[in-house]
Amino acid sequence: MFQPLKPQHWVLIAAAIAVMAAIPLATRDSYLLHVLILSMIFGIFASAWNLVAGFAGLKTFGHHAFFGIGAYASALISINAGLSPWITVWIAALAATVAGLFIGLPILRIKSMPHVAIVTLGFAEMVRIVISNLQSITRGELGLWGIPAFNGFTLPGLGKVAFTPADKVPYYYLVLVLLIASTAVISLLMRSKTGLAMVAMRDAEDAAESLGVNLTRQKLLVFGVSAFLVGLAGAFYAHYIAILTPSAAVGADLMILIIAMALVGGLGTLSGPLIGALILTVAVELLRDLDNYRLLVYGALIVLVVMFLPRGLATLGPLVTRRIGARA
Amino acid sequence: MNYAIFLEQVINGLIVGSMYALIGSGIALIYGTMRVLNLAHGEFYMLGGYFVFFLIVTYGVPSYLAIPVAVVATFILGALIQRLTIHYLLLQEGWAFSTIAATLGLSIFLQNAALLLFGEQFQSVPYYLSGVVALGDIRLPVQRLLIFAVALLTIAAMTFILKRTRLGWAIRATSQDRDAAAVVGIPAQRIYLITFGIAAALGAIAAAMLAPIYAINPWSGMPILLKGFVVVILGGLGSFPGAIAGGLILGVVEAIGVQLTSSEWRDVIAFALMIAVIWWRPWGLFGRKPS
Repeated sequence: MFQPLKPQHWVLIAAAIAVMAAIPLATRDSYLLHVLILSMIFGIFASAWNLVAGFAGLKTFGHHAFFGIGAYASALISINAGLSPWITVWIAALAATVAGLFIGLPILRIKSMPHVAIVTLGFAEMVRIVISNLQSITRGELGLWGIPAFNGFTLPGLGKVAFTPADKVPYYYLVLVLLIASTAVISLLMRSKTGLAMVAMRDAEDAAESLGVNLTRQKLLVFGVSAFLVGLAGAFYAHYIAILTPSAAVGADLMILIIAMALVGGLGTLSGPLIGALILTVAVELLRDLDNYRLLVYGALIVLVVMFLPRGLATLGPLVTRRIGARA
Repeated sequence: MNYAIFLEQVINGLIVGSMYALIGSGIALIYGTMRVLNLAHGEFYMLGGYFVFFLIVTYGVPSYLAIPVAVVATFILGALIQRLTIHYLLLQEGWAFSTIAATLGLSIFLQNAALLLFGEQFQSVPYYLSGVVALGDIRLPVQRLLIFAVALLTIAAMTFILKRTRLGWAIRATSQDRDAAAVVGIPAQRIYLITFGIAAALGAIAAAMLAPIYAINPWSGMPILLKGFVVVILGGLGSFPGAIAGGLILGVVEAIGVQLTSSEWRDVIAFALMIAVIWWRPWGLFGRKPS
């Protein structure tokens, strides 16, 4: 993944973006667009989790805390201070980053994977309980509603763009832009010196350290970027869905969903989490009857993928082409 | 708060803490022996609770018979799950993460399987013993004293097994150095199987004792798992005595904290304590600093 992109890769990326951009031109079906918007939100989340868990090797289980902090911070600031969501989403993402650094500092000094898992899980649970207990501010389990939508604007040549529940297209393009931008950020970060240090550290921590890689600072940088992106995804989600409850925005279910997506797609690959997010979101929607069994299926899926397909679907592609190539 | 209430809270904290200790010691035992962090441990507690409930309430088995049967059933279930999943995962590369992820998946699977099979109603079991003991100003229900007594007995029995029996020596040898243990003829795979079963059984004992007090439901494993995690972080991951001490400390800190704030903040107090300890002594209050 650190070689310069070949022309065919650029063609593939351009084609994927073109297809995604063309979908609203082909269909305005709001249900289909809704499913795709959700899978893109989850795609950003899963990619950002993968940045920490897959690339940097820090197996955290509490990233839903940053999603919830982003969602609630943006919603509460826009409701109470009357600021535009265009501004509050960035403040919220910064709030998630600060939380990320707070919890990142103690755990990043520890090399033990179980400690990282436990502390992040406990931290997220703490955030959930605080949000649901502060009823005077967040309305607790009753849910926060009346979250303002993004302000509309006028695009030269296209006319007015308005964010209303009836029209999903503006949301679709906005989240698509966010998805492309966050994937680009992750990709650039992984191609930088920091990215090289991360992978070196993941594969051989002591060796990397002995070569003078400042582990704590690099890890903290990656952790902060990841928390920022997850917070941003959460903030977008808040203004898109317009209603938040602690269990929906910070529930452990959400984290399990994201972990399943990243694992199914392929941990430690750039496209894996995106593929996983698309497949699992669409699959669950297609199997509407599955809804009651959704978590049962996700649980079983995680176990089966870990046991039989530890590298995920994204790695199947090159494997298959290589097999066919070898046979020819 | 006056002195009697304070003392009563501390005693209640010790009683609840003794249950946290049982949960934490199961997690510590599995981690100590096979370096696996078991995120499905809470589900052994949940299923143990259901076994007790079905035996006592549905089939009318007397509790002194029902509890051992439920504990044995959970032991078998734990060993079976180890054989079907963890056993294979430990042979893979990168098992440190894959076992955590797989047990997380397992936990979600078992929770939702319980939801489908047993429904979402909260169930409870009648008190095993009634009556109240008064010690000066302090009044303690006999049921709670029974919990404490069972916890002490279990901990004593476990300590005896680990220190004095061939099985215990084998478990401790395997946890210290798996390869060296294999060289002297200890069947590591069988030890793993038994250890996993014992840990599950410890969870079932806690579930059986708490069944009359806390409702049994498909989600009851998660909060207790998180408490178990706090306990092992406090005590030092993988240390059996550390888990016992960690459990008692957590119970008392929670009880006093709840008295000072309100019961809604119980879990926040527990996690804040854990994060504070991680900042200060990442290797736990009783663990040894890694050299």
